[in-house]
Amino acid sequence: MKTPEPVRRYVHPEPGEDWPALAQRVGSALAALQSWNPHLAIRPPPVVLTPIDVVFVEPPRPDDA
Amino acid sequence: MFDLIIRNARICDGTGAPGYVGDLAVRDGRIAELGPGPTLASAEAHRTVDAGGLVLAPGFLDPHTHFDAQLTWDGLAQPSLEHGVTTVIPGNCSLSLAPLRSAHREFLGAVFRQIEEMPKSAFDAGLRWTWESFGEYVEAIAPGLGLNVAPLAGHSLLRLFVLGYESRDRSSTPEEVRALQDLLRRSLDEGALGMSTSFSDVDHEFRPVPSRLATLAELDALCAVLGERGRPLQVLPEFWEADLLRTRIDMLAELSLRHGIPVHFSPLFESEATPGLVEAALERLELQARRGARVTAQMQTRPIDITFDASQASAVFAAMPLWMGTLMQGPEAIRKAFSDPSTRKALVADSETENRPIALSFTLAQTRLSAAKGASRSDVGRTLGEIARERGVHPAEVLMDVSLAEDLAARFTAASLAHADESKVGPALTHPLVQIGAGDGGAHVARFATYGDTGHLFARFVRANPVFDVEGAVKRLTKDIADAWGIADRGRLAKGLAADLVLFDPDTIDRGPEELAFDLPGGGDAFRFVRRARGVKEVFVAGTSVHRDGEGYSQARPGAIVEGPSR
Repeated sequence: MKTPEPVRRYVHPEPGEDWPALAQRVGSALAALQSWNPHLAIRPPPVVLTPIDVVFVEPPRPDDA
Repeated sequence: MFDLIIRNARICDGTGAPGYVGDLAVRDGRIAELGPGPTLASAEAHRTVDAGGLVLAPGFLDPHTHFDAQLTWDGLAQPSLEHGVTTVIPGNCSLSLAPLRSAHREFLGAVFRQIEEMPKSAFDAGLRWTWESFGEYVEAIAPGLGLNVAPLAGHSLLRLFVLGYESRDRSSTPEEVRALQDLLRRSLDEGALGMSTSFSDVDHEFRPVPSRLATLAELDALCAVLGERGRPLQVLPEFWEADLLRTRIDMLAELSLRHGIPVHFSPLFESEATPGLVEAALERLELQARRGARVTAQMQTRPIDITFDASQASAVFAAMPLWMGTLMQGPEAIRKAFSDPSTRKALVADSETENRPIALSFTLAQTRLSAAKGASRSDVGRTLGEIARERGVHPAEVLMDVSLAEDLAARFTAASLAHADESKVGPALTHPLVQIGAGDGGAHVARFATYGDTGHLFARFVRANPVFDVEGAVKRLTKDIADAWGIADRGRLAKGLAADLVLFDPDTIDRGPEELAFDLPGGGDAFRFVRRARGVKEVFVAGTSVHRDGEGYSQARPGAIVEGPSR
């Protein structure tokens, strides 16, 4: 049985990557990217993104739970 | 001659098969004979118990605990054992107490106390650090164990050991990954059942715990080590959001398939704050199970109640950044903030958020004042909303005013924050990919009682709103958990297996009311919430009685470190 389609497309941050660099890498506007990832948007510095984080690169799909 | 014979018991053997009235005999800590009717009528034993028709079941297994510290001063994990729990799995959520370099003890202690909400006074008074390796930790606790322990090695501990404090800030190099693998191998050799990790915990400085600085490649490399021995991985994912949780389930399924390991995540909450999440997660688990992945969700049986005071931060404020920030600053700053008109106004506004922290349906208006010694004592038991209406103020102002009047010692209880709708929780507990657990035994000691989920299962989901018969509930608390974690010689009643036994009354087994206990090391004002057992007549570990209703704990310490599977 093949790998199922992801619930939403996502990436993991590269080690040391910040929001602007990640937005550039995935080709999304920073504000949009953060709005799709409220679980990450309010994290205080110094560690803003971690390599194991899930960063969605598309908005929630309409049929999502 | 046997060591123990229990006669005339309703034997529920853990498999879910219909119970039968019969006898069971123990010799050398193992089940020597069992069967229906007066099987052992003519046999003799050093002690004979007439069960009087009570249920005799395998001792319960609790797969999600944080007893790591408590086990160093209390090898009975009180009061879990008196509820019939004979095997606990500590070291969950990336946090164990070993392996740990001596230089990191203070830091780890601060992290552990923050996440597991344990008073510093108890931690400092009770814990005698004598170990660095996992084996040395096991040697430290083993002699005092009254119940069995299957400890996990925490991923954050492994990273702290290898990378030092840089584990909080960066990913690992290839050389460090190899060192992490070697350390995990050694820990497994020395008594760790498996490994735990966390994608969502924060430390005492509200920074991600070290496990969260790992790359997926590092986690994969560690899972490869688990795969060498078929050992389990436990994970704390972002459990409060459906897309995130389903994405993590996919990720965990890949690790399970690639390395042939069982993966258990916790918790899975039913909550009106996250409608549809449980169904969505179960659907994803089923999808991945059809591919052969072994991923299960741990679900607790009890509703979530949290007691807090305004002297420090609490999870109920997780979606209120100003409250969280204020409560993190310590008592003096909190008093100042609660007294300053402009800050009060901002705190009231902050409390109006519609965000629900970590799937908790928390509102100040529905929160009750649960303890006060001063002028507010007459309001104990009332909700902040009721008091606010009477005073013509906002519930947040009531919380601030009462806290100031009580020198921040007033306690507030937010009840049934999640997992309270039994019409939804019950069916979920029956799902084959759900494992009953996530009780957090030994953690959050001054927030809520983490004991008695087993009795609650019988009281609520066998008797009140039945989704199980007695045999089915026993199976969920014994064989199903033992199988999921690869614990081969426990969880069933069969000849040759460990004689971990619980004798209970199926009509009365339950958890008692939440009560304060001042039994923490160091004494003083430090307390914890406990719930005493009801309807559990006697508990045996390795055939030795360790707790008897009405008599309390015995002096015996027959517990052991549980061996994991090997390939």
